Formats: sequence, C-alpha cells, structure tokens
Amino acid sequence: MFANRRLGILLLAPATLFVLVGFIIPVLILLAGAFRSGDTWTLTNYIDFFGQPLNREVFVRTFRLGLIVTAVSAVIGYGVAMAVVEAGPKSKGRLVAMLVLPLMISPVARTYAWLVILGRTGFVNVALTSIGLTDAPLRILFTETAVFIGLIQLFFPLMVLPLISSLENMPRDVVPAARVLGASWFSVFFKVILPLTREGLVVGGTLVFVGSLTAYVTPAILGGSKVLMLETLLYQRVSVANDFASAAVIAVILIAMSILTNMLLKRLASVRRGR
Amino acid sequence: MSDFLKLDKLTLSYGGPTPAVENLDFSMGKSELVALLGPSGCGKTTTMRAVAGLMKPVSGTITLDERDITRVSANKRGVGLVFQSYALFPHLSVFENVAFGLRLARVPGAEIKRRVDAVLASVGLSHLAARQPRELSGGQQQRVALARSIVVEPKLLLLDEPLSNLDARLRLEMRSELARLQDELGITMVYVTHDQAEALALADRIIVMREGRIEQAGTPEDIYERPVSIFVANFMGFENCFELTDGKLKGIAAPSFETGSAAGVAWRPHAVVLGQGPHTGTVIGASYLGPVVEYLLSTPLGDIKAEAPASAPRHAMGQAIAFDLPQAGAVLLARP
Repeated sequence: MFANRRLGILLLAPATLFVLVGFIIPVLILLAGAFRSGDTWTLTNYIDFFGQPLNREVFVRTFRLGLIVTAVSAVIGYGVAMAVVEAGPKSKGRLVAMLVLPLMISPVARTYAWLVILGRTGFVNVALTSIGLTDAPLRILFTETAVFIGLIQLFFPLMVLPLISSLENMPRDVVPAARVLGASWFSVFFKVILPLTREGLVVGGTLVFVGSLTAYVTPAILGGSKVLMLETLLYQRVSVANDFASAAVIAVILIAMSILTNMLLKRLASVRRGR
Repeated sequence: MSDFLKLDKLTLSYGGPTPAVENLDFSMGKSELVALLGPSGCGKTTTMRAVAGLMKPVSGTITLDERDITRVSANKRGVGLVFQSYALFPHLSVFENVAFGLRLARVPGAEIKRRVDAVLASVGLSHLAARQPRELSGGQQQRVALARSIVVEPKLLLLDEPLSNLDARLRLEMRSELARLQDELGITMVYVTHDQAEALALADRIIVMREGRIEQAGTPEDIYERPVSIFVANFMGFENCFELTDGKLKGIAAPSFETGSAAGVAWRPHAVVLGQGPHTGTVIGASYLGPVVEYLLSTPLGDIKAEAPASAPRHAMGQAIAFDLPQAGAVLLARP
C-alpha cells in the first residue's frame, strides 16, 4: 500500500493545499484576531465580551441547552435504540429508515415545520385550547423550549444511530447472562449495557453536544432575537453590529469547546480499554 | 425419583404457527445430571431458556425445589446458566466476571475474594484472575463461564451446548472436568446437547427431544440399547433403520423372527452379517476406518451400512454380495 510514498504525497497534495489555504489559514487569522486589539496581543476582547451581561447570559444558555439536549437525547436514545435492536429484521429496517429520513430533509425546512406546529394558531395550541387544557394559546415559539424541541429533533438521529450500532456489537447473551446471575434490569443497564455501549454514547454525545452548540438555523428561527445562542449572537455581532472582535471571541469559544468536548469524551471512551 | 425440578405441560412459543415446545412433562431429582438431547430446532434450548426465566411459557408450570417459579423473573430464580457463547462480560476481568453475581447479592468483599479464589482454583484458572476475557483461549473462557455460574451456588445449573465451540481434544478434557465438578459439588444439572456421545458419557438420564416433544426418556443404557423409535435409533448410531408394515420389511423377505406389533427394526453396522445370508446387495461404497472397513450396500430394502474386519478379504465396488439381517443385534422399535 505504501510502496510508492511519493505518489501518495502527490495524491494528497491538492486536498491538503485546499484545506490549508481555504480553511486552516483563515481560521488561524480569525483566532489570532480574537487576541489582538490594535497592534498588541491582549485578552481585552475576552474581558470586554464577558463584561456584558447579555453575552454571559447567551454563553450560559448555549451550554445549558447543549447539555440538556445531549442528556435528553441520550436517555430517549437508549430506549429507542434498544427497541430497534430488539425488533425483528423487517421492522428494524423500517425503524432505522424512519430515523434517518429527517437527516435527508433540509434543517431549514424542518425548522419551519416547527413554526407551523408550535405557533399561536399552530397544531399544539389548537389542540390544547380545544380540549380545554389552556384558555389562551401558550407562547411556545421564541422560547428556550422551542429551541430545545427543534434541537432535539435535529440531532436525535445522531445519538440513536451510534447507540444502535454499539448495542448490536455487544456480545450475544451478555444481558441474559447478567439476568440469570441475579441482575435487576437497572443493574443490567448500568453494569453491562452502559459500559459496553460507552463508545456509541460518546460518539453520539459529541455529535449532539457540538451540533447543539454550533447550530444556527434552529435557534435563529425558533428562538429569534429573544433566545440568542452563541451562533446567532455571532451572526448578529458581525452583520448587525460589525463587531468583529466579539465575533472572533465567540468563534474561539465555539472551536475550543468542540475540541475540548471531543478530547474529554474520547478519554471517557477509552477508559474501559485500559489505555 | 423426587421432583426437584418439574415441568408440567409446558408449552413455549416464539409466535410462529406451531409452538417450539408443546406439553412438555418431565421431572428430575436433586443432584441428578439430565441431558436434553436432540437435533437443532427440537426445542431443547428453548426449554432451557424457559427454565432459566428468559422466556415466558404460553402455558404450563415450572416447579423448582417445591416452589412454583413459572412467573418468577430470571434474576430471582436461583437458576444458573452457562451459555454456548460463554457470554463473558468483555469489560470485566476474569475475577470480576466471576464476582459479578456475588457483588449483585451484596456479599461482603472479603467473602467475595475467598469464594472467587476458591472457584477459580477448582477450575484451574487462579493464575489468570487478572486477565481480560479476550486474552483467554476458548477452553479457558468456558471455565470462567462455568466458574461464574457455580460461584453463586444456584439450585440448578443449566448448560447450553457448553462444549460445542471447543476442539475435539479439549471437549473430552472439559467433559471429564464437568463430570468431576458435578461429582464434587453435587449440583443438579440440565445439560443441553446434540452430541449423543456427550450425553451418554455425562448424564444420569437422557431425554431425547424431537420437534418440541419428548421422544424418549431413560438411562443412557435404555436409550442406547432400547431406542423406541427410528428417530432415536438414528440418533444413537443405528445406521440401518427400517419401517415394518404388518411385521414385514418392504422389498425383501420378512425377517425370520417375531416382530410383534413393532413399527420399525434397526441394526448397527456391525450387526449386519456379510458374505452369507438370504439377501443380496451391491457394494456401492467402502471406507477404511482402521480396525474395520465399512461397506455401503445398495439393496432392495434401501442402502445398508455393514462392517467387516479390516483383516477380512475386501469386497470390490460393484460386487454383488450376500448378507443377512439376523435376529441377534436387531432392535425392534415401537414407533416409526
């Protein structure tokens, strides 16, 4: 395979060059910009950014929502993934297709559908008022709840699919073996299933968490300017306020978080291999 | 025979048109080793999973040690199970695999250490306690699975084809080890297998299953020497099994002995007399098996397997040869 190293390097060169010029260099310039004020290297940009209550609020909200979305999709994800794995081969195919289908629809279209469902005269409010659960329509749109619902729907498949594959890769009969040795379903989950599917959880968790932090369309449409997230704030700083310093700071935070999350979760995943 | 384990009209189904097991009745005594023997798909593994509580019966009851356990969940039955795939926990060391059941039962740490060490010693794995399961050979994994099941002292231990993934030599070694453990510990065991030699060597009693029903139950001697049906006879190494119609064999003269109401008759290859007799067949196959040569004869009755000492003159392929199916060595079968 490596018989001809030179050819290998040659074949890699165009892609490498493209990534270097088109991605890495601009990102480095951007990141550098976050640490510069005038002509000096400084942390002023960060101090200014976190000095404003609104920015702090957006920062905290973004992480809170990211964590909640990740946790909730993990909990529901295990349930769904186990049901899919237990299902017969025929219904398994159908269930997986149903899970994957939303991934093939544009996030913009999917998010607009939520406007229809969650709006003042949308499906949910009409249903709630007509059965008399509420007198006036609830305000769901442009709240954290709406963003939460949108994000869950957007990223749920990315949690379930890795969980399904790691559940399917569990050795046969370990669950019945644990049952017969006296494990309650609770113990079976925490002592056998969870440790053996940790890698799937880590992959799914990373995708959902980083995805939630960096989603733009969903918070923009369902949260609007009332529920700003780091991404929507970033866009506002650049296109409305022309404030590139804050924008660069947000970009650094987002990139750093993505990398940190990945490193942290990778370490968690490798614990059981003893590496 | 006491009823330590008793299955009463047990019917099990995977939801298909015919149940996997139908109206199964059987009981066994304490410290007995019973083998469930049968081809794949006969319902033996299904029966065992139901006894372990991994499958709900459609109807019928399971009683263990005078307690109805039909509705008791798997983790509260006190029934151990050694899986064909061993099903060791890959994320736990050998020690922790064996300690798994004891930890769940909240046994104190010092006692866990003592009991796990003792059981690992008895299966000869003390030196591997710190290893991970994937670092072990098949035979060693098998021993861990066994140790893990017996350390919790189940009332009943079920073994599902425990030796089928091992090579021939290791299988013999594990077989005698199982026999030794059963002898030492006096565990009541149900042993599921499709290997008649294993069943004969290990079991106090054998239950031959076919299509979800018991075909024959008895001591190894009963089953081996007095099979009740062509099915059991085939399974027990009778190569020549024939149906009888009104006491007659189809295609050749009636046997020269009283067949009574038997529905079938069978001979082992060594019981067929070659070179003399009232019948004639053509040699269509010959295999040298060391001490004997096994011939396959084409006869009006069907193909017949016969053995002759390797020292006797050989019969050539295509040669017509006289043979006899004598009364000595014939086994009458009650059912087809």
